[in-house]
Parts: sequence; structure tokens; C-alpha cells
Amino acid sequence: MPRDVAARMAAIVGPGHCLADEADLSTYECDGLLSFRVRPGLVVLPGTTGEVAAVVRAAREADLPIVARGAGTGLSGGALPVEGCVVVALSRMKRILEVDLENGWIRVEPGVINLDVSKAVGPAGYYYAPDPSSQSVCSIGGNVAENSGGAHCLKYGFTTNHVLGARVVRADGRVVDLGGPALDAPGYDLLGVLVGSEGLLGIVTEVVLRLLRKPEATRTFFATFPSTDGAGDAVSAIIASGIVPAAIEMMDRLAIVAAKAATGLDWPDVGAALLMDVDGPLAEVEHTAENAVTLARRAGALEVRRPRDEAERALMWKGRKSAFAAVGRISPNYIVQDGVIPRSEIAKVLREIDALAAAVGLRVANVFHAGDGNLHPLILYDAALPGQEKAAEELGGEILRMCVRYGGSITGEHGVGADKAAYMADMFSPDDLDTMGLVRCAFDPETRLNPGKVFPTPRLCGDRPGPYRAHPTEVSGQAWRG
Amino acid sequence: MTAGAPRPATDADAILDIRPDVVYEPASVEEAIEIVRSAFGQKKSLAFVGGGTDLELGAPPERLDAVVRTAALRRVVEYAPSDQIVVAEAGMTLESLQERLAAHGQRLSIDPPLASRATLGGIVAANAFGPRRARFGSVRDLIIGVSLVRADGTLARSGGKVVKNVAGFDLPKLLVGSLGTLGLIASVTFRLHPLPEASATLRLAGQTARQVRLLVSGMREAQLEPTAVAAVWRGAAGFDVAVRFEGFGAGVAQQVARFQTLAGFQERGEVLGAAAESAFWSAHDAARTTSPLVARLAAPLASIETLAAESLPELLGALESPAFLWYPTLGLGFVSGAPASLEAAATAVGSARASLPAGGTLVLARAPAGVRRLVDVWGPPPPALDLMRSVKERFDPGRRLSPGRFVGGI
Repeated sequence: MPRDVAARMAAIVGPGHCLADEADLSTYECDGLLSFRVRPGLVVLPGTTGEVAAVVRAAREADLPIVARGAGTGLSGGALPVEGCVVVALSRMKRILEVDLENGWIRVEPGVINLDVSKAVGPAGYYYAPDPSSQSVCSIGGNVAENSGGAHCLKYGFTTNHVLGARVVRADGRVVDLGGPALDAPGYDLLGVLVGSEGLLGIVTEVVLRLLRKPEATRTFFATFPSTDGAGDAVSAIIASGIVPAAIEMMDRLAIVAAKAATGLDWPDVGAALLMDVDGPLAEVEHTAENAVTLARRAGALEVRRPRDEAERALMWKGRKSAFAAVGRISPNYIVQDGVIPRSEIAKVLREIDALAAAVGLRVANVFHAGDGNLHPLILYDAALPGQEKAAEELGGEILRMCVRYGGSITGEHGVGADKAAYMADMFSPDDLDTMGLVRCAFDPETRLNPGKVFPTPRLCGDRPGPYRAHPTEVSGQAWRG
Repeated sequence: MTAGAPRPATDADAILDIRPDVVYEPASVEEAIEIVRSAFGQKKSLAFVGGGTDLELGAPPERLDAVVRTAALRRVVEYAPSDQIVVAEAGMTLESLQERLAAHGQRLSIDPPLASRATLGGIVAANAFGPRRARFGSVRDLIIGVSLVRADGTLARSGGKVVKNVAGFDLPKLLVGSLGTLGLIASVTFRLHPLPEASATLRLAGQTARQVRLLVSGMREAQLEPTAVAAVWRGAAGFDVAVRFEGFGAGVAQQVARFQTLAGFQERGEVLGAAAESAFWSAHDAARTTSPLVARLAAPLASIETLAAESLPELLGALESPAFLWYPTLGLGFVSGAPASLEAAATAVGSARASLPAGGTLVLARAPAGVRRLVDVWGPPPPALDLMRSVKERFDPGRRLSPGRFVGGI
């Protein structure tokens, strides 16, 4: 990193907020996907939109790539630095700027933690719906970049359905507001394409989020089954009956064992379990909960437990939400995978995953959002055993390709990032990808923001739209490839 | 070329009085691709037309060589009731899709007017919506995939067939409301919902704007979850408020009972019977479909008092048979009527825009040519206009897809 660039950045954000020491930089060399690591050139922690814009302009003048970073909890390497880049870490921008309950929105900075939004408005009876499992540590800016989901997005939708507006620093340092508290502003829905664009289209410095009134009642139940087949049948029957659960989560035997080990829950040793929420007006909820329990029993539930109080309910959900980390109790290493299949194929796909894993001598724990077919296979392995890590990675790839074969997706909520860029070509044709590339080139013709992510093949934008031509700097090897 | 011998255009094919030379009606997506590709080679300007229900939204096209009608692209490509998704071609009408879905106890939870004519592609392109948006969101929230024929004839897909999917950019959302300026929407994939077991609508007459606001906030406090709420202005008589609940019978009954305990219901409220319910919601569409001038409004959702007292009186006064419809849980609405004088109506549109609450917008979804000449139908340019132009430039560098129709002359 050129010294004058570091000095200039330090002048913008203050010397204490510009990190250039090797030890400091190493903290930022990966996100939640620990297997990918790249040391950034510089890390800056701006405190305002103006500082972010100035940092972006300075990086551009020095012709350096820029990688924005929230809380660094992402699981696809979306915030993975690229060689020599400037990491723009937004963790200092964590103020709640404005709350307007009557109009149903809140304006926050990107570093605000997801759960803190609901905490801020909870006493007044409101909440922010998207609830990724990492919600106590992940930030709103990262949620916007990844279009984060969560267990309750089955009924309530994803981040994209709850973001009303954003202030964005563009790749050239200009600042633009997209959307706002009022809906349907004239023009293209650029906000719609910004959410989930994984840091490739701009850096969000303020976000207007929709707030919801808390539902009157929530009913939760936990049902056990001899196998994932029975649990899958129960899910299908419940959905087919016209019930729209707030969340319906499945865990298989291994995941249950892990969650028990981590939380001390007294869950039985069974083949599969469902954890389900229904919420809404009281009479509606009592009716649907009763029906769902009946349908679960009819599908072969061994036992149905209902929490006695809010504390017990919270514990059940804690068991579910801690399942990823809990797997560390039963395996030295594991890969968290994220793929989507049509819900009706769950039982079949799980058997196929079992067979694939058995064939290479690995175990897979499954904990996932059953209501929308979003699988999270946790591939267990031991890095100390030669060849296991590679076998686990290959199994992960096989599972993704299987999801695509079934008409699903290579990612339901963790994003493509660095981890899955290579799989994009399994899901999309070159023309499909090229069309997404048009949007990127419109926002960031120099492909300066988060290069190397999402797209499987590098591509420069060129001055004008048209077929790909090698850029002179690319031929000479100076340019990084997008 | 088999794909599409065109027919000569008639006046009925004109878009805001601009008549194309020819009209294509492709029988398949492949034919549509061929038509677009060949027009690209010949540098012809195109516009895409579905049911024509929102054709007056936007400015007249600067150039228009040919219209491509999607009416014959009306197949259901894939319907998986157990996965609650449907893939359908763009020219299918909403009504015929709903009939297909209803046979399996499902629906696409949007309800814009004129469902027997409005096509899926047109609804997406115009971002058309109805009162159920209050609970289920707009087409933007329900579209999960799209296939698009780009200006040069390239077919591209985005999104997928599963509801939960974050692979790649969300182009379906970019196309919502894009008015055919980025490409031809060939097919769309939607998330579906179960048909409710029961529905009930209650009406509360003679409410002031303040009472409407308080009623809505009272419903929210009471944790009621209506699927639609509409305030219909009745001039000196104030607003009629209609509230719809849908769901399982027991839940609907309880919400109806609960709503009746809210302020004012005992004196001025009634529960509509099934026939009256359906008649009310059909009639409410008329405020959006029958007048020569229709304005789409957006503002903070609790701003009905400002709208009624400050932003709209001049505009309503400049219209004969004026109508004002507000969706107070969404912050969206419509003003419509027949301009008594074109100049006065145009001036009133300008005044309304200038006095909207912060962040509010007013778009003329329909207006006589004389009004269009005096005011921009889209209103002031949005802050991101240059970025929108860049997007257009990348997708349609020759500006041949409905040039000039969209915001800021895009």
C-alpha cells in the first residue's frame, strides 16, 4: 500500500481509524467464511457518509479496489478482501437516526446490529422482521448487501421486502438516495437491485427500514419424528392446508445431537424434529396451531411439545439458532452449506445427500428452513485426516449442483460471495450472467467495488456497452479482474 | 420469416396517439425473440403491449416503428401447487391465471383493476397494484423470477423458481415498473398464497381525515391484520373507510368483532354481505379506471390529513366528478376526474406536487394530451436519474425500446 494513500485516508477518517499495521490488517483478512483469507492493503473505518465518499474518491484516485465490510459475519466470503484493496469497515456508523412509528419506519446507519433495531422499537410494540440466525451480531448494512433472510422470512419476506430506502456512496464517490419512506418513487427500482448485490453496486451509509407491529399472538411447537421423511410430510401437509407458518424449521438426528450438546436442551434422540411458529391475531393463531399439530401427528409425529412460557419458547429457538455453532461439539471441522430446493422435494433430496455423504465416508448434519426448502447441510470432517477437507468441499459442490438440478438455487440467504462464484455458471447461462453484468457496469463501470465476487468469470465493462474486449491494462496485467 | 408476419397498424394500436407502422403478435417466446432481434438489426423502435390497461402511463414514445403484442404468449409454463409457485408467459391475463390457481385453492395475491384484460407482463412493467398490497405486498414482493428478451434479442433469465434465492442480482425487481424500456418481459415466476377460507369487509361511513388516521392507528394498536384498507373520499360527507379481513373463519370472525369495538363503528359502521363486499371492491376500482385524468399518489402513510387539507383541494376542485382514494396502511392512493380546464388541471397538478408531504410523489397515470403538454407526467426528476440513465444505456444503447416513455425522458 503506497504510504501517501494511507496518509490521505488517515487524514479523512482520523489516524486512529485507519489501520495499516500487519497485526491490525490480519483481523480483517476474512469474514465468517474462515477458509478464505486475503490480507487487505488498508482498513479504514469512516464515521460519516461524507467520510465514506471521500475514502471512495481517494481509493479511486489511487486506482485501488474497495471492499465494504459490515460485522464480518457473512458465510460466503462477501467481505473477503482482495489483494491490495481498501477495506471500508462500517462498524463505527451505528447510530439509529430517526424513528417514525406512525409511518412505520426507522432510519439507521449500516453498522447498527440487526437485533438492536427490534430492541429499539420493541417497548413500543414494533419490530424489524428479518431475523438471520446471526441477528445478535450481524449488521444492517451487511443484511442489505446479502439480502439476509432468517427463519421467519417464510411468512414475512427477506431484507429486500423490508428496506424502504438507502443512502448510497457510489463507486465514483457520489452520494445518491434511493427510495425512502414513501413507496413507489418514479423511476427504476434501483433499490430493489441494490439489496442483495453483495457490495458490488455501492456502499450503503443509511438505511430506511420498515417496522412492523408485533403480532398479537405466537404459538410455537416442537415435534419429533422417526425420520426426515415423516417431518417432510408434515411440512407439506401443513402448507397444503392453507396455513402460512411464520417459520417452520427442521433438524435431523445429527443436528439435534449437536444442539443438545451445546445448549443442554432435553430434546429426545430422534430422526428428525420440526420447530414451528404461527403468529397473528389470537383466534387465527389458535386455529392454525391446532390444525398444524393435528397434521403433524397424522404425518407420524412421535411427540409434540408446546412451550409453557416465553422462556421455554426462547430456549427452543436458541437450540435451533445455535445449531451451526453447536456442530463444533461433534466434529472438529465442518462446512456450512446453503442451497435451496423446491419444498416438496425435501425428503428425496435429504436421502440423496445422505447417499452422497456415505459414498465418500463423511457425515452431514441438516438444519434448515423447511418451509421454503432452504437447506443448510453441515458437512462434518476432520482436517487432520488427509484428504477429508477436500472431500468435504467436493461434497458441498455436489450438493449445490443437486439443488440446481432440482430447480432450486445455489444460495438461499448466505450469498454467492467468493465462495460460490464458480457455481453461478451451473445456475445461469452466460447470457443471464452478462445481463446481470450490465447492471454492475451501469453502477460501477470500473468494477472497483468488491471485484472477484458473485461473477464466475472476470469481465471488464469497457467504455461502451457491447461484446467483451480486453482492456489495455488487462492485457498488460495491471488491472485486477472483476 | 415465419415468426411474425406483422399486420399493418390501426389507430387502435397507437400509444398516446403515436401510431406504429406495424404490429407483431408472436405466438411463442421464440418468435418474440426473433422479432426483437430482427428489429434490432434494422434499428427499429419497439414498444411492448399487454392488455393495454396501463398504456397511458408515461410519456408518448419518441419513435415507434412497431408494437409487439404479447396476447398470444399466454401459457402456464409450470405450476407446482405444492411449492406454491407458478411460471407463466407474460401475455396471460391475471384473471385466467387466477382461475387456474383457484382450482388448487391458491391465488396470486395481487388485485389490480381490470383483471380480465391486464396481463402478467403488463402488471409487472407498470407496477400495477390493488388493495391487497396492504398485506401481501406488491408484484415486487411476489415476483421471484423473470425471463427477459433484451433489446438485441438476447434471452436472459434472472431469479429462479424457488421463493428463497439470493444468487445473483435481483433483476426481476429492476423490471417492476420499468415500462418495457429495458426489454420484453417474456415470462414471470410468482410466489403464490393459499386462498383464504373466509373474507369479510366492514365499512365505516362519514369519517374525517383525522378519524381515518386514528382508526388506522387504532387497528394497529389492536393488532388487527386487515388484508386491505381503503379510504374513499365522498366530498362533504368525508371518507368511507373499508377494511377487509381474510383468513380462517374463526380468525376472521374475531377480527370483525374486534373491529366493531373501535371508535365510531356503532354509529356509522356496517358489515357488508358477500354481494355488497364484492360490489364495493369492484366499484372502488372505478376511481382508477374510468376518468380521463388519473394521478397515482405516494406519501407517508399517516399523511391523509395533509393530503386532504393542503395538497389536494385545488386538484380535486379542478376536476369534474372528482375522486380520491387513499390506502392508509400503504401511503398510496389515486386522484381522478375530468379536467374542467386543461390549464387549471395542469396548474393544480403542479401545486399538488409542491405541497405533498416530504417524500411524496404524484405521477399522472392518465391525462388528456392538453394536460401532458403542460406538466411532466412523472414529476420532478428523481435523485438517481443519471444512474437510471446508465442502466438504460447498458440495456438499450440504441434507445429503441419505448424511447422517451419513462422518467426523465428515458
